[in-house]
Amino acid sequence: MLVVAALRWSDQRATVDPLTGEVHSDARTSGAGAADRAALEHALRIAEAFGGRCLAVTVGPAEAGEMLREALAAGAHDALRVEGPAATVAEDGSETARLLLDGLQDRPDVVVCGDHSADRGTGSTPAFLAQRLGACQALGLIELTAADGALHAVRRLDGGRRERLTFGLPAVCSVEPADTVLRRAPLPATIAARTAEIPVARAGSMRYLRAGTAKPYRPRARALPPPPGSEPHQRMLALTGALVERTPPKVLRPATPEDAARELLDYLRRHGYAP
Amino acid sequence: MTHAGPDSVSTVVDETTKTFDVVVVGAGPAGSAAALEVARAGYSVALVERGPFPGAKNVYGGVVYGRILDELVPRWWERMPVQRWVTRRATMVMTPTQALTLDFRTQDWGKPPYNGATAHRADLDSWLAELAVEAGAVLVPSTVVTGLLRDHAGAVVGVRTDRPDGDLTAGVVIACDGVNSFLAKEAGMYRTGHEAEHLTLGVKQTLALPREAIEERFAVSGRDGVDIEMLGCTRGIPGGGFLYTNLDSVSIGVVLGLTGVSKAKTRPEELIAELKRHPAIAPLIKGGEQIEYSAHLIPEGGYRAMPELIGDGMLVAGDAAAMCLAAGIWLEGVNFALGAGMYAGRAAAAALKAGDVSGQGLAGYRTMLERSFVLADHRKLRDLPGLVLSDRMQQNYPGMVCDLVQGLFQVDNPLPKPGLRTLLRRSAKDNGVRWRDLVRDGWTGMRGLR
Ligand SMILES: Cc1cc2nc3c(=O)[nH]c(=O)nc-3n(C[C@H](O)[C@H](O)[C@H](O)COP(=O)(O)OP(=O)(O)OC[C@H]3O[C@@H](n4cnc5c(N)ncnc54)[C@H](O)[C@@H]3O)c2cc1C
Repeated sequence: MLVVAALRWSDQRATVDPLTGEVHSDARTSGAGAADRAALEHALRIAEAFGGRCLAVTVGPAEAGEMLREALAAGAHDALRVEGPAATVAEDGSETARLLLDGLQDRPDVVVCGDHSADRGTGSTPAFLAQRLGACQALGLIELTAADGALHAVRRLDGGRRERLTFGLPAVCSVEPADTVLRRAPLPATIAARTAEIPVARAGSMRYLRAGTAKPYRPRARALPPPPGSEPHQRMLALTGALVERTPPKVLRPATPEDAARELLDYLRRHGYAP
Repeated sequence: MTHAGPDSVSTVVDETTKTFDVVVVGAGPAGSAAALEVARAGYSVALVERGPFPGAKNVYGGVVYGRILDELVPRWWERMPVQRWVTRRATMVMTPTQALTLDFRTQDWGKPPYNGATAHRADLDSWLAELAVEAGAVLVPSTVVTGLLRDHAGAVVGVRTDRPDGDLTAGVVIACDGVNSFLAKEAGMYRTGHEAEHLTLGVKQTLALPREAIEERFAVSGRDGVDIEMLGCTRGIPGGGFLYTNLDSVSIGVVLGLTGVSKAKTRPEELIAELKRHPAIAPLIKGGEQIEYSAHLIPEGGYRAMPELIGDGMLVAGDAAAMCLAAGIWLEGVNFALGAGMYAGRAAAAALKAGDVSGQGLAGYRTMLERSFVLADHRKLRDLPGLVLSDRMQQNYPGMVCDLVQGLFQVDNPLPKPGLRTLLRRSAKDNGVRWRDLVRDGWTGMRGLR
């Protein structure tokens, strides 16, 4: 059982030069934000509950190793830094998700992230992680517990309402800081972690997903307007296309698989299913 | 979470194996210098800091004087994170409408081995701590030392921290925890009362200004910079002001006697605002955008207010031992902290080597301090802090000096020019200065400076 705490390394006290508008960030004030610290705490608790290992991972530059050392001191069994760009990536989170999973050696059972980071955070990285892993996603949680082999969560909804969720593994969760505070690391662990070597992975270097199964392409559902006609019979006829002029079904016998593929793609394009 | 505080009490522990040879509390200049020396001597040392990184919370005006660094870090100027080299030092005596400046510049200070530099604390403290870590010290940040551990005989044998399993045992504890050191107090090293009287409150604003504007207004170029100390700008509250240039910002602030400011019922930011509006200052900082506001206590009591520096298993250095020199034209603490920390580290290493970490075994610390500028300067200038913070110096002398110079420079034709003695008598009388006091204070000042 592998529980991954995916931590975002960002400057918590970035300053903006009032004269030039330039944003200054500093490695010394960078680290995990409140939501990411809560994510680590949840990951530690889930690993404890399932008797698994907690791995703290980040995509970031060498300076981000300090944040991972703090995670080790707090109780993470392992840490991994996936070599990533020093500057913030101006992307939608999919690139971070790709790099992060690319760097992992084993498939995670649970990934816990902060709901979104302080710098340009859109909160979409966990969703991309879930999509890439083919895992359940439960995002923006204010409570998260592990019991009876499943995860139980509470999500905040609009209007002050709450939604209770129960879901199985594999799962990707993102958490709000809410009232979850990262445990205080014991002193001996803190001292030991000061000199701990943080393994570094390069995206693609350990790619466990690369050999995974390719899923068939499933076109997205499209909303169509209801067929005209006040009678159900008329609408049924319109839907099935019976008794009307229409293109008759065509049976093709292309000479080669390439011709068949081309014919199919043309068809999908004509009907708006493929770009 | 528990913190070191006025009520913290030592914990008695049974004999244990030592976690480190030395534990240094506080990664300010004193602590990093101490840890660096211990690590260089080949002993294990933990440098415990409450901030998330060294310098995270520390405040000072901004000038570091380099001579002690020559001994600690050879060719330090090639590595230290410097903003500007101080090539102009000025002392300004002012009243609300007047300012007399003694302004000195020398290009000698703009080249190696450099006299002084402005540097940001976050950069300076991180750099110093990094030197200690490179030498082998273990930096433990985000950890507050909450008390001392003692053996049954009362000797200090370690510290307790706010972390779980947070005791660190050591042969020697070096308290470098800054002004108002709870560790020195817990160890019973402070014997004096009236502590508030020995403290001033330093309040500082950092204003962003374009580099070209700084160079133009302060008449400097390249990395040259300016250090201005001010007297008479605190509405008579004991204290003074300062203005230092960084690369693209300036630091401006006031230092206020703690009891004076509480009696005056004035807020420090009002005094800084007033200082910023002063006709001699306003043009220098016009358009500056405030990017930082900070405040910190300063131990200004000087030599007479210092605690015991050595105990069984314990040394105290830097502001924790009230080693900041604040006497009008001087506001120096970092160099004293560096010197004291360095000697404390050396004394601890020597005591460990000799196998005697009792007060007697650590006595070399005092000898080293006395032989160096750290205690020599403090002893020599021991009367100046009181003189500078006195009512006369704050309320009467600035006006008297400014009036005297105004009289000298004012042209009153067709009246004949008044003689110096007449001017002196007039300005002293107008500002309520008695000859007796003037002579006495002049004598104290001269004696301090001789
Ligand atoms: C407004 C102002 C202007 C100044 N201007 C100048 C100047 O221009 N030039 C100059 O030389 N000096 C100046 N000084 C004085 C100078 O800042 C100090 O003298 C100097 O910093 C003392 O160094 P230190 O290492 O003894 O203490 P500090 O720099 O105060 O360091 C103490 C360290 O201990 C840590 N600490 C405290 N308690 C604990 C604890 N319980 N557990 C763990 N860590 C702890 C703190 O976080 C801190 O990092 C100024 C001071 C002020 C306030």
